Amino acid sequence: MTATNSKRSGTVYIVDDDASFLRSLSRLLTALGYAVEAYASAQDFFARPAPDRPGCVVADLQMPDINGLQLQDQLRRSSEPLPVIFLTGQGDIPSTVSAMRSGAEDFLTKRAPQQELLDAVERALARDAHQRQQRTRQRELSLRFDELSGREKEVLSHVVRGRMNKQIAADLNINLRTVKLHRTNITRKLNVQSVAELTRMVDESGFFQAPEND
Amino acid sequence: MPPSQAQNVDGAGDRSKRVLLIFSESRDLPGNVIMEQAVRAELTRGATNRIEFYTENVDASRFPNPRHLRLFRDYLASKYAAQPPDLVMLFLAREFSSAQELLAGLGSNCPTVFVAVNDLDVPDALPDRPFTGILQRFDVPGTVKFIFQLQPETRRVVVIGGSSAADAALLHKIQETARALDGVTFEYWTNRPLNEIYSAARALPLDTVIMVGTIQRTDSLQPIFTSQVVQLLAPAASVPVYVLGNGLIGSGAVGGSVVNFEDLGASAGRLGLRALAANPLARMPVEIKSNGTPMADWRALQRWHINAGRLPPNCVIRYRPQSLWHDYWPLFLLLTVGLFAQAVTIAALLVQRKRQQRAEAEILRQRTELAHVSRVSMMGQLASALTHELNQPLGAILRNAEAAEVYLQSDQPDLKEVRAILTDICRDDKRAGNVIDRMRSLFKRQKLTLGALDLRDLVEDTIAMARPDALQRRVRLKVEIPPRLPPAQGDRVHVQQVMLNLIFNGMDAMDKTPPAGRLLTVALVESPHGNLRVSVSDCGTGIAPGDAARIFEPFFSTKSNGMGMGLAISKTIIETHGGEIWVTSCAMEGTTFTFLLPPAGSDKVRPGDLPANP
Repeated sequence: MTATNSKRSGTVYIVDDDASFLRSLSRLLTALGYAVEAYASAQDFFARPAPDRPGCVVADLQMPDINGLQLQDQLRRSSEPLPVIFLTGQGDIPSTVSAMRSGAEDFLTKRAPQQELLDAVERALARDAHQRQQRTRQRELSLRFDELSGREKEVLSHVVRGRMNKQIAADLNINLRTVKLHRTNITRKLNVQSVAELTRMVDESGFFQAPEND
Repeated sequence: MPPSQAQNVDGAGDRSKRVLLIFSESRDLPGNVIMEQAVRAELTRGATNRIEFYTENVDASRFPNPRHLRLFRDYLASKYAAQPPDLVMLFLAREFSSAQELLAGLGSNCPTVFVAVNDLDVPDALPDRPFTGILQRFDVPGTVKFIFQLQPETRRVVVIGGSSAADAALLHKIQETARALDGVTFEYWTNRPLNEIYSAARALPLDTVIMVGTIQRTDSLQPIFTSQVVQLLAPAASVPVYVLGNGLIGSGAVGGSVVNFEDLGASAGRLGLRALAANPLARMPVEIKSNGTPMADWRALQRWHINAGRLPPNCVIRYRPQSLWHDYWPLFLLLTVGLFAQAVTIAALLVQRKRQQRAEAEILRQRTELAHVSRVSMMGQLASALTHELNQPLGAILRNAEAAEVYLQSDQPDLKEVRAILTDICRDDKRAGNVIDRMRSLFKRQKLTLGALDLRDLVEDTIAMARPDALQRRVRLKVEIPPRLPPAQGDRVHVQQVMLNLIFNGMDAMDKTPPAGRLLTVALVESPHGNLRVSVSDCGTGIAPGDAARIFEPFFSTKSNGMGMGLAISKTIIETHGGEIWVTSCAMEGTTFTFLLPPAGSDKVRPGDLPANP
């Protein structure tokens, strides 16, 4: 069965104010081979010692004080934004719409079929693994970008926009030789072979997008 | 004799006639009183002339000395010499010899009518004058028959009599009657002192009766009247007393076939009229009457428990309380009419009240119906909460069951864990059941049944129902209940409906309030006057002052989707409980709805707990 043939990496954090449901879901996921941590409220969840470990959150949408959506908001802004699966006792159309609109990615009723639930957990764990990988790469890239000087970053921004060396020299009011020198330094520091690779790396790191997006 | 006067009797129609009534005994003896009245009435009615009555009484028994009689004769002669009577009527109780003596003093051709009541022999020689009369005998056989008719069980008759000649004559007659009777003992108490008779009469056995003859003289030769003896004996005797004269009825005697002195007086009066009309009396023989009139005293019959049905059919019953109708028929008629009118009024009022009650019952039924409809519609509001409330335990059950399945598939199932799962499943099942029960009571169409109501339990239950909704709407619920709270008088479902309605209203009122400020407080308290006070406070925008006055009116709503029935129904429900509901509101601070319920056992809230300006 599922439990035996796949020992998953990552912890499932369950947050629900209904003690009985919390216990039942913990039991099921534990039995299926997941590492499970159960919390009766969002506050308890955030108060846990948080090692950088892959995982996902299964949270009740309706909870007193901090509800599921608020938990997601807070989590997203943290250093470790785990994916969240929402559970609700409701399952009616208005509350589903409102939850989706608020950014709930996965949304299940408490009585959803077991497979749907497990699929959602799997998806979330996969997403977390992927995001984690991305974050590692980004960190690595941003370390490399950090080696660039201010002028080099300036030149790079023009390069990835497809500007020719002459145009860059004119824009920055520097001579062509200097532009070529900067470009050589950039390819060396970032360890890239071509402009195409360079552009892909910049895209991946979101280096120039992050400030603009904020 | 001056014939002129006698002659004048015919001719002088305008002269009044003098009638002299002479009583041989005391005039005020009961029989004499009755007779005199009858005689006077008869004469007055029948005479063509005005009648002038004169009365004399000889009181012969009490003054037996013959000298007195002579003196009386002379007195009469002297007194009536100038105004001789046109008619003398003589009421005799005893021997005729005294009559002769008396009349000697009066004019010899003055017509004289006598009435004698005794059993003495008819005198052979009547006075030498226009003289006739009636001799009334006592009806001894009639009275004896009367006794046995009334009391057939009688075995002994005690006869009380006197010792005068007339007394002896009567006793003799009684003895003769007694002789013809078998199986009955007659005992004659004629020579015993009165006080001894009195004592003996009080101790007579039940099968005995007393019959009183006439007593003109006692054993000690003292003059006495029968009436005195009857008055003494009848009330005291241990057995009924029977008498022979109607004058004696009324003093306690049961009755008898008595001498009817009224009839006797009337007959005598008629004879007198004939004498006054100058009919020759000499040709009229003395009339001897031996009839008696059966007569009974109603009160004595009652006293001795004698069945009145045994009385002879012609019996005269005295002292029977006249039917009130007889005496007071106009009053009765008036009263009857009054009562009838009253009855009609009362009936009309009853009909009206019945109608009113029916109308009230109908109103109550409609209110209950309306409350039910409103409750069901409120359930729509509760429906999503209901789903949540049910999905919570059902979801837990499902996940637990799935977990158990996984555990059981392993080679060495953790049975301890499986057992824990089953315990949880049972508990969650109960939880779901409770949710359904709570909701179902609101769906039920039921009559208002007032009884002791634990408000703490009810508030907690109601809050549990509202909690999911509150959670979704991000409203915090706060409950304030004192540790000790007496029960209220109310209907659980209806009061819960009011609470839910107020709670939902409060949550609606806070839709525009920032989530942090959404607090709804339900407070319970026993008021100073012993009522139970429930208040539901929100932190919403408050009610506009103009709306506060109309908020309980039907179809009044400040909400865009409100029907305006909730508060109107709540008010009706609370008022049906004998309670009060009111609202206080502060702009931008919130609104508090408060209602009072009477304490258990009361049907109305005690006064004094209402706000000064509700």
